[in-house]
Amino acid sequence: MSRPKGFRQSMAWLHTWSGLVVGWVLFAVFVTGTASYYRSEISRWMRPELTDSAFDPAATATHAGAFLQTTMPNAMAWSIRLPSTKDPEVEVYWWRNPGGPYHHALLDPATGEPAKVRDTQGGDFLYRFHFELNLPPIWGRWIVSACAMILLIALISGIVTHRRIFVDFFTFRRDRSAQRGWLDAHNVAGVLALPFHLMIVYTGLVTLSSMLMPWAEMTAYRGELLRYYAEAGITIPGRPPAGRPGEALPLGEIVTRAIAAQGQTPELVVVSNPGDAAATVNTYFEEPPGLAHLHPQIAYDASTGAEIGRVGEAGPATRTGAVMVGIHEAHFAAAPLRLLFFLCGFLGAATVASGLVLWTVARTPKGADPEGVGLRLVRLLNLGTIGGLPAGLAAYFLANRLLPVDLPGRADWEVRTFFIAWVAAALAAALSRRNRAWPLALAIPGIAFLAIPVVDAVTVGEARFLGFDAAMALLGGLLLVGARLASRRRQVQQRAETILHRTAQA
Amino acid sequence: MTVPALALSLLLAFSGFSALALSLERHHRAVFRSPVPRSRRGGLRAVGSAGLALSFAAAVACAGWSFGPVQWVGSLTGSALAVVGLIAYRPTWLRTAALAALPLAALTLPLALPG
Repeated sequence: MSRPKGFRQSMAWLHTWSGLVVGWVLFAVFVTGTASYYRSEISRWMRPELTDSAFDPAATATHAGAFLQTTMPNAMAWSIRLPSTKDPEVEVYWWRNPGGPYHHALLDPATGEPAKVRDTQGGDFLYRFHFELNLPPIWGRWIVSACAMILLIALISGIVTHRRIFVDFFTFRRDRSAQRGWLDAHNVAGVLALPFHLMIVYTGLVTLSSMLMPWAEMTAYRGELLRYYAEAGITIPGRPPAGRPGEALPLGEIVTRAIAAQGQTPELVVVSNPGDAAATVNTYFEEPPGLAHLHPQIAYDASTGAEIGRVGEAGPATRTGAVMVGIHEAHFAAAPLRLLFFLCGFLGAATVASGLVLWTVARTPKGADPEGVGLRLVRLLNLGTIGGLPAGLAAYFLANRLLPVDLPGRADWEVRTFFIAWVAAALAAALSRRNRAWPLALAIPGIAFLAIPVVDAVTVGEARFLGFDAAMALLGGLLLVGARLASRRRQVQQRAETILHRTAQA
Repeated sequence: MTVPALALSLLLAFSGFSALALSLERHHRAVFRSPVPRSRRGGLRAVGSAGLALSFAAAVACAGWSFGPVQWVGSLTGSALAVVGLIAYRPTWLRTAALAALPLAALTLPLALPG
């Protein structure tokens, strides 16, 4: 860690060390975030019992309302997500206190009874891991945000460091030294998707901006955030409960009115203060075509069915923020464009991974010198993260198919399998001989991903999952190619060393 | 944002990036085993920039001013990755692929434009 001289060297130093300290967390954030572009496809695959069926939105809402009425009549709020082409089930949440606990169930659209479906978090686990790391939300979000801010520093300092950004734009010298090859790979993955990288880090921070920088709202609205949300055109102002019981219309009646008013079925229906005379039903509609992530909303009085408000036209600042969140999540992107977003996310993970590997390659002692403690630690963490996380992912999917369907706490066991497999794969790579570590670290997840289509064919075996299974096989194949390349490079290196040794002796 | 519209942006950007890569000494050598003639360098750069500009125009014409630029930036990443892959693994294919992309782009054009 010699002291850098000059501006560019300082930036290179900053890039190296800022990238290293957050690299492992960021790799996990990039991988799970990239997977989240296919969150609903993953959830569909993990709930094979659910099939698409035509549903009557009004009847479905009434059924769900009846279910919630028996489950928790005095809740603070009920939330009902109606079925869509993406998710065929009715997802309901209900809670008594703003801080939770939040109760959750999936209902059959036809009957309003809990759906007969295996207990799983599906793609939501990966989605939440992407910004909460499976920690208590506030901790996870702060850690991910801090890493994202450091990544922004690493990105900018990396651009400054890269002297030949245009001349080396297409350069990937895979036939030169290991260090040259890794540097080129890091540069190509970073530069080719640079607009995406800058966009995704910045907009990612914007999604959490009200947590990171709450001072403007706090000062201007003196902590009355609900009033801010209403004035900014984000929500409809709420109504306080009347404190006396009221008779509510069937929810289906309100959904029918909402469909007539907006010309489309709402995605989400939220009942505030159910059972109260001033109970309110908020209906949320799909985002209109456009980049912004803003849902039209109409609120109704639960007892009379009269409209009591809509979200107004959002102001320019709100719209700007909504466009940034929209581009980050890419809900607007149809299948072909989503594939490009996925590719860019993949390149993001590749940039982080190649940067981490490059750090160790550039510092590997020449000849027989021993490896220092720092280098050893980074190498083991690299193996454990870059090989271990994919192994955990594959195990998460395999557990979904292999754990008994009626296992108590099944969803938690899937998550536990994810972490157990991650740790086990990391340990296996760490404990193996040094020249076998990388081939092994990549072969374990490779084989596990290849096992997914086989296990799926045996346990569920439905044609509609062929696409998902093919994608898993492709990932497995890629990881095995990586393992093969890693073992071949080791062999080439050993052979070169032997020849050098013999020449020296002669 | 249909498949032909995205394919059109990708193909035009691919041809453009190929020309830009060939205007660089190292890649011209890898593809043609000869240094890039000074007289050709400017032409390749102009063709390359034109390819990227056309790709942008196609994305905006097909997908509008809000989605078009997003689609274009994605196409740049995807097509540049293809150029890098070809130069690293099959350099001699680059010229043919870049030339073949142009008639393919012309074929997707009627399918890509809205209406």
